[in-house]
Amino acid sequence: MASSKIEELKRKRQLKNKRKKNQVIYGGVLIFIGIIIYILLLKNNFLYSVIWIIGLLIGFTLQKSRFCFTASFRDPIMVGSSSVLKAVIIAFIISTIGFAFIQYNAIGGNTAIGYENIPGKIAPLGIHTAIGAILFGIGMVIAGGCASGTLMRIGEGFALQMVVLSGFIMGTVLGGYHFEFWDRFFISRSKAIYIPEYLGLPLTVTLQIIALCILYYVVDIYQTKNNMMSI
Amino acid sequence: MRVIEKIIKKPWPYIAGGIILALLNITLFAFSGKPWRITTGFLYWGMGILEVMGVDHLDWHYFTVNGNQLSEGKTFFNNEYTVINLSVMMGASIAAFLASEFKWKRIKNRKQLLFGLVGGVLMGYGSRLSFGCNIGAYFSAIPSFSLHGWVYAVFMFVGAWLGCKLLFKFLL
Repeated sequence: MASSKIEELKRKRQLKNKRKKNQVIYGGVLIFIGIIIYILLLKNNFLYSVIWIIGLLIGFTLQKSRFCFTASFRDPIMVGSSSVLKAVIIAFIISTIGFAFIQYNAIGGNTAIGYENIPGKIAPLGIHTAIGAILFGIGMVIAGGCASGTLMRIGEGFALQMVVLSGFIMGTVLGGYHFEFWDRFFISRSKAIYIPEYLGLPLTVTLQIIALCILYYVVDIYQTKNNMMSI
Repeated sequence: MRVIEKIIKKPWPYIAGGIILALLNITLFAFSGKPWRITTGFLYWGMGILEVMGVDHLDWHYFTVNGNQLSEGKTFFNNEYTVINLSVMMGASIAAFLASEFKWKRIKNRKQLLFGLVGGVLMGYGSRLSFGCNIGAYFSAIPSFSLHGWVYAVFMFVGAWLGCKLLFKFLL
């Protein structure tokens, strides 16, 4: 009886391994489909075709590196590990430099040109920013994934993240529906703060990189002090 | 060949992920004029579904301010958000299949389902207030030198802390 059970388990594992080997073919099929979609987009909309390729690479990178923004905030709190957060900080240092070049290219030194003319993600700052961020922070921890993580896990076959995505869609629609209230009392009364308007682009870039380096250093010390994994 | 196999089969270090994602975001920004964003695409899908269901919503205040209206020639399904969100999912699938890591994972229990749904709604609602999610209001906002990105980071941390408390209390 026991030995037959072991035999069965062995057989199951073998089946599993076989299935594992077969998956590469599906990957190939998906790459093929991805290329076909790329060609179709290329014919109709060049920009979409570029976005398509970048998106594929983003998804690939997210999956390979298990890059998870939720973990970058959750792990330092729950288990004292900050290696993901450190990687996020490195990403910020690189993109700070890249974004600075793109913005300088577009507006030169004219940082007071008006926010709608500056490329990038510049948005009004106020109480709504804090409330939205807190809601998002709670949501991402209890749902076990943020926006990018949800997309990635759906790609990996997680059913739960399909539920998270439907919740996400409902939440955005609800937020859009209530937007008039938030806009009237908070958003329309606040303004965006583009730091280079006050400090100039070169100084802002320098200060931001210094701040990020200090943050990296602090997080690194925190990790060596609190990492429960290493105990 | 062995190097390629290693890249495809083995997981990458976090740092490599961070560096590549930053470079991809810069490339996207340089090409399309806009850095990476996700959640507005979710709103558009939701609005598209409402549209199919026959709900009239074009007079919503949201679509009259802050440049939120759909640009010329775009619909709630045909826009750059749809392109990038679908391709991110597909890219993750490709990576998972090539490493033979793809697996249909079912939902464990009702509690997990509830937490997933509520968490999703909270994230979606929050993203409207703060003009983006962890990507639009954080990953793409801090390098744009907009102060709201930093404020967002601080309060997302507060939210994550509260979320951890809830997790400890109800789920673990």
